[in-house]
Amino acid sequence: MSITRRTFLKDAGLLIGLLGLQPVALAEVAEALELLATGRAPVLWLQGQACSGCSVSLLNSESPSPADLLTRYLSLYFHQTLAAATGVAAQGCLEQALKEERRILVVEGAVPAGMPHACMLGEESFNDLLLRSARGAQAVVNVGSCACFGGIPGGEENQTGAVGVSSFLKGKKVQTPQFSLPGCPVHPAWIVGTLMQLVRGGSLPTDELGRPRAFYGGLLHDQCPFFAKYQVQEFARHPGDKGCLFKLGCQGPITHADCSLRGWNGGVNWCVRAGGVCVGCARPEFAQHKNYPFYRFNEGETEGSSS
Amino acid sequence: MTRMVIDPITRIEGHLRIDTENQGGEIVDAWSRGEMFRGFEAVLTGRDPFDAPVITQRICGVCPVSHGIASCEALENAFAIEIPENARLQRNLILGANFIASHLTHFYQLSALDFIRIESLLDYRGSNSTLNHLKGWAEQEISSRKILPVAPFLPHLEGDYPKDQKWNIQALEHYLQSLEIRKESHKMAALFGGKMPHTATLVAGGVTSSVQADVVENFRTRLLRVRQFVDDVYLPDVQRAAELFPAYRRMGAGVKSYLSFGVFDENGHDFLPSGFLNEGQLHSLDLSLIREGTRYSRYRDGAPKHPSVGVTEPDPEKEGGYSWLKAPRYGGSACEVGPLARLLIAAHHNVFPLTQQLRRLGWKEAELNSVMGRHLARALETAWIARRMEEWLDRLRGGEATVSSYGPSLSGQGEGLIEAPRGALGHWIHVEKGRIRRYQCIVPSTWNFSPAGEKGDKGPVETALIGTSVARESQGLEAARVVRSFDPCIACAIH
Repeated sequence: MSITRRTFLKDAGLLIGLLGLQPVALAEVAEALELLATGRAPVLWLQGQACSGCSVSLLNSESPSPADLLTRYLSLYFHQTLAAATGVAAQGCLEQALKEERRILVVEGAVPAGMPHACMLGEESFNDLLLRSARGAQAVVNVGSCACFGGIPGGEENQTGAVGVSSFLKGKKVQTPQFSLPGCPVHPAWIVGTLMQLVRGGSLPTDELGRPRAFYGGLLHDQCPFFAKYQVQEFARHPGDKGCLFKLGCQGPITHADCSLRGWNGGVNWCVRAGGVCVGCARPEFAQHKNYPFYRFNEGETEGSSS
Repeated sequence: MTRMVIDPITRIEGHLRIDTENQGGEIVDAWSRGEMFRGFEAVLTGRDPFDAPVITQRICGVCPVSHGIASCEALENAFAIEIPENARLQRNLILGANFIASHLTHFYQLSALDFIRIESLLDYRGSNSTLNHLKGWAEQEISSRKILPVAPFLPHLEGDYPKDQKWNIQALEHYLQSLEIRKESHKMAALFGGKMPHTATLVAGGVTSSVQADVVENFRTRLLRVRQFVDDVYLPDVQRAAELFPAYRRMGAGVKSYLSFGVFDENGHDFLPSGFLNEGQLHSLDLSLIREGTRYSRYRDGAPKHPSVGVTEPDPEKEGGYSWLKAPRYGGSACEVGPLARLLIAAHHNVFPLTQQLRRLGWKEAELNSVMGRHLARALETAWIARRMEEWLDRLRGGEATVSSYGPSLSGQGEGLIEAPRGALGHWIHVEKGRIRRYQCIVPSTWNFSPAGEKGDKGPVETALIGTSVARESQGLEAARVVRSFDPCIACAIH
């Protein structure tokens, strides 16, 4: 059974739903999938100061499924966690992938700008490898908050001078267009949707931080099921309480992401529905400042006594 | 004597390099080198203590739940917070689901390609539509002018892959099926955890999600599907791999000192108990015996310290420092941690019927200390935990509290000890004036992938590599098989 136009149209239909696009776009998305599948958009995936959470999240993709992603949509030329090749063979793949000019570079993890020895691959610093890979790529897609903005490795008083990819590449004469998909981890639909749109060529409207508006255009709070509770000021005061979590520290009102509409893990749940505050994991400021706690019930009492 | 460098070791979590010295077709010395440092402990210092479960889960995208729970337990220990029964059960269920996802991913996505001849796919003549799709894809790739056809499945290192066509094909099919099953187990974790990876509901004092009957049954349905795969597919696949690679039922023998902190709290008793098993003798844990050294690590030197007073001061170009991992020791011993350690310790406590299970499967207990022994222990444990999870589900009580109430907490010292999928995990916290003054973690892969200790004594994986037979033209396949049997998570190990 080979890949037919019909299969593409079927999968494209699922993606349309995923992306919130008009059905008119069906033919265009099918074409995009076909471009990916025939290997016209090879993907090189690099991991810097990462936890692999974004790679794990990609494997949670619903439609297309992870197996379909690997065998139909992505030409995954190099991925440290999935590549059969190891050692010299893996380095060979990496160098081959770098010769491919149409490559899309996906980056997971922060860049230890202040301590290149903090991330090494094949005796080369990740910093140098990243620069080589970004130059001449068709696009750079930063997945997860670490790659976008530094994330936890880039938090206040970190020891490695960790930054996001865009900060690192700034002033290094890299002309490649960059896209940022923050989140801790990134949602699989945000990666898949972005890659699909990318190969269509430039039809991916983004904001000033390079975030695709399709996923990051609205505030979590605006579509939150607790919005009505917020309006009547019915607030939870302790974790596990009923009510809107705003007073506990929920960052839904300042976080741009579509979690409240999309849900996580195939829509079975998401943070706020499960009673957890939104920790703002998709915000550029996520985990950056030590005086900005995620839960605020310990606050007040601490402010006077800490120095 | 020839030097072999395997860098990077792929199909693991994180950045690992292995150097070996080989002589007469055998590895005679080995160095395990962790290559990525982030410095979580410094990022945690000075924060509100209740941030810790959110931050520390992000140490690892593969086993976030164990970090989240260890961190909650450290806070509860520091501030004398009790947790309700519903919270204990929900934590066990979220963690159990994380164990299943982690173990399945480890065998199929990370390890199996070492034991499959992928090219067999091109000879497939059957009628399975998934496999025919895969074959069609591979043929199309090979006939295309792509630089790397059939990536990420090819190329792979040359080696002794099996000729058994049935195994090769079936294992590939199961590789694809397991992707769906591991996703199911993430959905289970998300039902009580909010999302995976990196859950939202683990807080000091409990779990924020309430107990709803529909969610419980949603979880149960998925669990049944997962259990079926574990019992009918995963366990038989590990058995078949062990039959096809009998040499690996001996190779990769480790240090024979095993450590477990115990996990799955059932009202004060761990379903999988703690202990230190040394040369076949079981001892109860004495945590004061733990020390972490840095002699061969890329940190400033100092006497080995207990984690409650540990420090993390990077020295990236330190002479003689060959890894970003510290070197933990228990009473001076390097210890193997993980599913094998847990099952051996549970068997010594008479709470796991190891002898009976091994007899049924045709294994000798001595064979467990090997590459295939570790794979088998992981599979047996997955089945054992998955079965128990139904009982935890039954004990959940709708309408009852899932979080205890407590006031602001400004000072204290605590430890959170648990088992992650890869082994013993400890978090140590010191809080002063409502801020974290010190935070230290010793993570399972820190134990297993430890560099040499103060006296030059090798870490467990280094020890397991020594004596491994390697083909003359080897580029590291045999060594990689040994390394992967420990399920490395290097982001965790260094953090």
